[in-house]
Amino acid sequence: MRKYTFKLVLIAAAVILSVYFLYPTYVDYSLQKQLHALSGEDSLKFVEEKESEIRESRAKRIKLGLDLQGGMRVVLEVNVLKLVDDLAKNKDETFTQIMTEVRAETKRSEESPVLLLRKKFEERQIRLSRYYGSLRDDNDKIYSTLEDEAKKAIDRGIEIVRNRVDQYGVSEPSIQKLGTNRIIVELPGVTRESEVRQLLQGTALLEFKLLREPEVAYRIMTAMDNALAQSIGVDSTDTTFAATTVKDTSAAATDTSTISTPEGDLTAEQFARKHPFFSVALVSQRYAGEAVVAEDNKDKVRRMLDREEVRKVIPNDMVFLWSAKPRIMNEGKRYFALYPVKKTPELTGGVIVNARATLDPSYNQPIVTMEMNSEGSRDWARITGANVNKRIAIVLDDAVFSAPVVRNKIIGGHSQIEGMDNLDEARLLEIVLKAGALPAPVDIIEQRSVGPSLGEDSIRKGLFSAGLATVLTVLFMMLYYRGGGAVADFALIFCILFLIAVLAAFQATLTLPGIAGVILTLAVAVDANVLINERIREEQATGKTLRAAIDAGYEKAWTAIFDSNLTTFITGVILYQFGTGPVQGFALTLMIGIITSMFSAIFITRVFFNILTDRSSAKVSFG
Amino acid sequence: MRLFKKTSIDFMGKRNLWYTVSATVIIVGMISLAIKGFDYGIDFLGGTELIVQFQNRVEISAVRGALDRAGLGKAEIKAYGSDRDILIRTTTITTEQGTSVGDMLRDALKSGFPSNPFTVQKEDKIGPKIGAELRRDAMYAVVASLIAIWVYVWFRFKFIYGLGAVAALFHDVLVTLGLVSIFDGVMNLEIDQNMIAAFLTLVGLSVNDTVVIFDRIRENQKIFKTMPLLELMNKSLNETLSRTIITSGTIFVVLMVLLVFGGEVNRGFAFTLTVGIVTGTYSSIYIASAVALEWVTRGKAKGALVK
Repeated sequence: MRKYTFKLVLIAAAVILSVYFLYPTYVDYSLQKQLHALSGEDSLKFVEEKESEIRESRAKRIKLGLDLQGGMRVVLEVNVLKLVDDLAKNKDETFTQIMTEVRAETKRSEESPVLLLRKKFEERQIRLSRYYGSLRDDNDKIYSTLEDEAKKAIDRGIEIVRNRVDQYGVSEPSIQKLGTNRIIVELPGVTRESEVRQLLQGTALLEFKLLREPEVAYRIMTAMDNALAQSIGVDSTDTTFAATTVKDTSAAATDTSTISTPEGDLTAEQFARKHPFFSVALVSQRYAGEAVVAEDNKDKVRRMLDREEVRKVIPNDMVFLWSAKPRIMNEGKRYFALYPVKKTPELTGGVIVNARATLDPSYNQPIVTMEMNSEGSRDWARITGANVNKRIAIVLDDAVFSAPVVRNKIIGGHSQIEGMDNLDEARLLEIVLKAGALPAPVDIIEQRSVGPSLGEDSIRKGLFSAGLATVLTVLFMMLYYRGGGAVADFALIFCILFLIAVLAAFQATLTLPGIAGVILTLAVAVDANVLINERIREEQATGKTLRAAIDAGYEKAWTAIFDSNLTTFITGVILYQFGTGPVQGFALTLMIGIITSMFSAIFITRVFFNILTDRSSAKVSFG
Repeated sequence: MRLFKKTSIDFMGKRNLWYTVSATVIIVGMISLAIKGFDYGIDFLGGTELIVQFQNRVEISAVRGALDRAGLGKAEIKAYGSDRDILIRTTTITTEQGTSVGDMLRDALKSGFPSNPFTVQKEDKIGPKIGAELRRDAMYAVVASLIAIWVYVWFRFKFIYGLGAVAALFHDVLVTLGLVSIFDGVMNLEIDQNMIAAFLTLVGLSVNDTVVIFDRIRENQKIFKTMPLLELMNKSLNETLSRTIITSGTIFVVLMVLLVFGGEVNRGFAFTLTVGIVTGTYSSIYIASAVALEWVTRGKAKGALVK
């Protein structure tokens, strides 16, 4: 046995690792099952109690494809032609006519619409500068600017879509860029088509909203805190208590951002009971007027804000808006900011003419410059003049991207926003500011949705088929090859275990064709052992001892196994390249399956056989 | 247990008979294909496809009537698995006025069956551009895999074996395509992305089988250096026969499980692969090996046959 220690340890390690990767899937499954058994209030309570556990297992479980869990997949394409149309100024009849021709041509041609447009203009000897850029610009320059705008539109489109999907509250959405001008959006669990259409295609709304003064905001939040404490049923009539801790909470929040008890004799638990809101929403002094909420608590606070008694104490002209992106604070924890803002926007984004992210030359700090048209500049001067040292939130589709402090009255519409941590952040703000002025027109070119009941049905049928196929294969191998078959069966079970664990580890998505891939892997894994066992039988027939026959069998079967698996693997690679969604899931499962089956069918069975035949008296029947 | 005692079947001697069989199956399949045409699924066709489940049994003719009244008479209507599930497909996504055809279909069914509520199980809307792209990609994929396999087998064995393997693959693809066309009506088969995935997998599994046989031929050639090729091939085929049947048999059983219990979505996939595994096993013997043999016996390849 000793000489196999290393190999056995290797196998054990693989099994332990597999279990480790599959454990979250199990936890997620059992939590969901418990949740389904509960109803109404109880389920809400359950979710609140187990929030982090649910979130963690959910993040690490095997992902199910849209075809299994239900949901919607949408492919968007930037409508470059519409963008180019939007960008043109002084449009006249000639322009409209050329656009119509180009539109017809794009249906037939693979070339970029901008190039087609340029060609049409050149055919008619009209300079592009008649409609774009400034008069002195030549065609080359305008052409490259337009192509550039088309490229930027996709980033703007992605940002707009991502922002909205985040606000919409879809769990585990996936938003990816495909090629140069397409966006794939996957929304698990969403099937209401009209909502999605609105979500993805509506024009982006950029607004400038004034933050409430910190004192006002704090007073309202205190009222909310009290209202919550009362309704949750704890005697928190002592309102003065909250008022006296104003300073304490904010001070504590600023330096540590963790829950701390303002009065020494209160434990964290007691504090949470007395101050349900302040225990999760920390009021910060550095960013005056806003509250910060740890990512884990975001849903909880969201639910608090929805409660009747909380809504009652929030004034009519005020709303709470979340920051679009989390802020990474101490110890890498992610926090979202909650901004109390005036409901009516001061200004909307249509007035923005241009925005640009650059490095401030004198301080080498990232900044964003923003220009407004003359009408916007007038309003902007009035607004900034009246609100010096107050904060104005830049809000895109109800998510706050930045909330800079107004330093002075801005005349002429040329503003500069500072305080970004890095250039990426500045670029994001540039995209956001432009989104308000310049839309990124997108067309839905593909939309697939699967209802949850069909998904459940597919899972049930897929798992049943996989189970039945496994049982049949295992029984057959045992019957046909006896001892040799039993060893192969062990390897088969390991193979499937490893396959699913690898899927979980890589965060790969399991689709219905993917389940078919698992079933097929079963067959591929069996094939390797059939090849080996047949060879061993042949070698035994020539009169070799058991051990010698096994050694020769493995050696001679190896090239066939390797060559045949490799060709299947090649088709898997091609399939992965070509396929979309579910088909890729199949290809991936097949490829991983080939690798895990080689490991288990060749390596693991060999170790087993060697251990079994170490004693010369040992017998293993190959049927 | 042993199903096969030592066999000595003269596989290669009867190859002309099997050529005829293969040719007949392919020709019949191609005729069926020529008459019926490709029955493309929504992926390649583009348009709107709705799969709805009614609460109670529903007649296809009644669905057609309801859609006719709403001016959607051109829609294709099929039963989908059970008598409560219906597949409806149109080639358009929106009307000229911009109304969603999916919504119109829903409304038509709602007013057509007020006492038999339904749920939409699946809804696909594929733009014409995407459909064309997917068709093109599918073709590229099939061609690319054929070339890749040829190159690989050529590299590992010899040019002529690569050619034999690819000839077998063409045979398999044509036979399966023909059978898919013939059984189209009975099994409700459509050429969609899953079906293409099945075809590529079929290509992989078929060559898998071929390679195992070639491997044995190569090995035997090193041992029996003077044996005539026909005899050598027969010997190798007989030696690998047990493995061929057992492996293919297992895959066949596994695929039958998928075909019967895997549900409507997997039907086309499972059918294609089930046919594919049968023809793939057969073609490894009668096409892949036979083509190599023909080439050699006609004196086109001399010297060592296998690297």
